[in-house]
Amino acid sequence: MHVAIVGKGGAGKSVIAGTLARLLARRGDPVLALDSDTLPGLELSLGARPPATPPLMAAAERGEDGRWRLKKGIGPVRAVQRFATDAPDGVRLLQSGKVDSVEGTKPIMPSLQAFYLVIHRLPRSPALRRWSVVGDLPAGPRQAAYDWAPYAETYVLVVEPTMQSLLAARRIARIVSQRGQATVTPVANKVRRRADVTRIQDFLGVCAAAVVPADPAVATAEREGVALLDVDPEGRVVAALEGLLATLGGSTLTP
Amino acid sequence: MRIAVAGKGGVGKTTIAGTLARALGRRGNDVLAFDADVNPMLGISLGVGAERTEQLVAVRQALDEGEVEHQPTVQGMEETFGTAGPDGVWLLVCSRIDRTDPG
Repeated sequence: MHVAIVGKGGAGKSVIAGTLARLLARRGDPVLALDSDTLPGLELSLGARPPATPPLMAAAERGEDGRWRLKKGIGPVRAVQRFATDAPDGVRLLQSGKVDSVEGTKPIMPSLQAFYLVIHRLPRSPALRRWSVVGDLPAGPRQAAYDWAPYAETYVLVVEPTMQSLLAARRIARIVSQRGQATVTPVANKVRRRADVTRIQDFLGVCAAAVVPADPAVATAEREGVALLDVDPEGRVVAALEGLLATLGGSTLTP
Repeated sequence: MRIAVAGKGGVGKTTIAGTLARALGRRGNDVLAFDADVNPMLGISLGVGAERTEQLVAVRQALDEGEVEHQPTVQGMEETFGTAGPDGVWLLVCSRIDRTDPG
């Protein structure tokens, strides 16, 4: 299963991405979790420890023509072996560098470029095709527009019942559809009443693949910066996401 | 007073920016509310409404299509790409990503 999680800021992308990745791993899939956000997020929702140094910094270099390329001997498999970190349940987490400077992305540019190059070679890597991939994209339409999830067969579009989230979701859905290679699967999140689901489905014109209830357990996990699966493994949200996995179609793509 | 509102996705930047702008307007200030998000939503928090926000964005997009003239002055930009909101706030929309090609 190769999915990218998209949606407006605060819709619940990271919690869903982290939980899906660990549920897939518990099923026995080898799982690669991809975090292309330049702000921290997915590591907390996975329950992983952040890497001590920005990952992938040593993986890319700038050629004489000024273009970035992966260093000799580093392909996607090697990059995952060397630069991904361990998360609970056997998930491997590959992160781009995080912005932590007044210079913005400049100091972490090698890491961002390497991340982009690696994910674009993932679809052609036979070894990683057996892996399940869960990518957590930053808020909004930017990375969907600039092709930051070329591995994804499905974009899981996380929508909460607010006007802002709905409008953003519709834009993202349009952008992904323009590329035409992946399907868009909406997930209704933070649902409090039946009308929330109807509203989301009417606005987007498609059925939600899963309905995830608003649940104080998620707020608790988010407040403490821990994984939902570590505080409420039997809860309603985890159950809804198990249902989503079943809907998304079960097993790993084995050759 | 010139303020930029920043923060992680979903923390409430747009709601705070829109409410601050209107609070300033109610105190009698001239307020320019500037939406620099590629997914512009400030109009909704200000109370300009989703439809009018979409129209503003359409004006901005028309610039790329060559259907609207570039504006060399700040005042011209305010008039062409902005709209009046509640409490005397003037809303200005900057850009939006709509397509898969960078632009």
